[in-house]
Amino acid sequence: MSGLDLPAWSEPFSNIAGLARRMRLRGISRDWAWGGSTGKGIRVGIIDSGLEVNHPRLAGRVVESVAVELDDEDAHVVPDDGKDLYGHATACGGIIVGMAPDVELVSVRVLGADLRGKGAAFAAGLEWAIDQGIDVLNLSLSSKSETLFPVLHDLVDRAYFKRIVLVSAANNVPAASYPSLFSSVLSVAAHGEPDPLRLYYNTAPPVEFGAWGVDVPMAWKDGGSTVATGNSFAAPHVAAMVALILSKHPGLTPFEVKAVLAAVADNPR
Amino acid sequence: MVADDDLTAALTALRAVGRRSSVARTLQGDVEARLLQSIVDATVSLFDAEACSIALHETDPDRLEFRVAAGAQGAGAVGLVVKTNEGIAGYVFSTGQGLSMTDVASDPRFDLEAAERTGYVPRSIATVPLLDDEGSIGVLQLLDKRGSPSFSLRDMELLAIFARQATTAITAARVQRDTVRLLREVLRQIADESMTDEQVEDVVSKATEGLDDDPDAGPFWRLVDHVALMRGLGERDINLIGEILEVVARHAQRARRRA
Repeated sequence: MSGLDLPAWSEPFSNIAGLARRMRLRGISRDWAWGGSTGKGIRVGIIDSGLEVNHPRLAGRVVESVAVELDDEDAHVVPDDGKDLYGHATACGGIIVGMAPDVELVSVRVLGADLRGKGAAFAAGLEWAIDQGIDVLNLSLSSKSETLFPVLHDLVDRAYFKRIVLVSAANNVPAASYPSLFSSVLSVAAHGEPDPLRLYYNTAPPVEFGAWGVDVPMAWKDGGSTVATGNSFAAPHVAAMVALILSKHPGLTPFEVKAVLAAVADNPR
Repeated sequence: MVADDDLTAALTALRAVGRRSSVARTLQGDVEARLLQSIVDATVSLFDAEACSIALHETDPDRLEFRVAAGAQGAGAVGLVVKTNEGIAGYVFSTGQGLSMTDVASDPRFDLEAAERTGYVPRSIATVPLLDDEGSIGVLQLLDKRGSPSFSLRDMELLAIFARQATTAITAARVQRDTVRLLREVLRQIADESMTDEQVEDVVSKATEGLDDDPDAGPFWRLVDHVALMRGLGERDINLIGEILEVVARHAQRARRRA
């Protein structure tokens, strides 16, 4: 599958006029969707480089930290030490806590010295999080492995019917990767408008939602902070909105959550 | 245990494989480096950036090595080695996800340390993975676009296109570069339980020993080098060399007859 066959990842969200929609669900406002919500009672899993639990921007919201260990072909999920190897997971977690201060974060580390973005570790981490019934999963990673295609497809379907919302960052280079291309997840790419709640809905594949992902101020490793750009920083903005919605309207299915997001999106009419 | 005769035969075969791949490397290595250099040269000038560099993944130990660089502040990066499980380069390599950071110097200590080793601390960094069919093989990194505090989405896309060019250049020579690893893997599979890891290492090191600087094969390798050089010459140059060689050969024949 050639990456060049796909539209570039940021394209739809750099031409907002092209996202104009005449038809949309009426009667659903942002106030109805998440007005007054703090994300209380919702657990959000960050499947990434591991959350730095003591980082001030995470405000003590991390309730559990696990890591995937690969032993030949077998993957095990073990307790983790609450550190972030790169800073990336902590950046995502910080964005979510900043928007939904009462969520509970679960750190699922699938990167590390021996894991090196191995698809098997990613799939194992995702499976664990789904089995735990964590309400929202933020996936900044994706795999382009064709071997993993059926595995990830089964997992995201399992999540969908367990009412677990998967928020998956589109790849930063225009290439096919999974699960972000599956229609049952909320795929997200970046726009450049500096507003955490600015959201666009795109009806054309490959990316369904656009959120802020350019020059985003964020937490980083060792208690630090930085400013960075990437689709993986757009995804947590959407994950936070989902947490706010689910906290206020428990029991909504991923399908209904998408419908609410599409209804409150900032697309021009 | 493997019998001694078998081991000798295996060693001979492995050595032949090693030799062939070494020839291929001699012929292609230079081309690869020149291609990569032209890619970073083009990237740095297109973006009007302070530096652009390419790091490739190496194993034992797992690391990223900066091979080529361009730009006013690029020189210090060549030869720099960073771990795959830390820093921006490590993250991008490990995840295959590109990202760009502004305000780099203001905090993240991990990369600052590497930056200081190069003698240049950037304000902004854009890093994209070099992705082939198997996964990441390295990263392409761009530092400080002049006249702009950060990199735009469009910049990242363009950078990804340059990264694809670099990947194509590298994968063409990849098989040869990884001969040793290949030998090791094949041997382990063949030997199954009958050889220990140490024995496998022993055979691999015997088979590849001194391949790059084999003294008794000197004249042959010099010829290989010259053939490789000639590939870069034009048709007229090659014809001229052919004519000179013919004259030299005739002269040598006459000299022999006289003797």
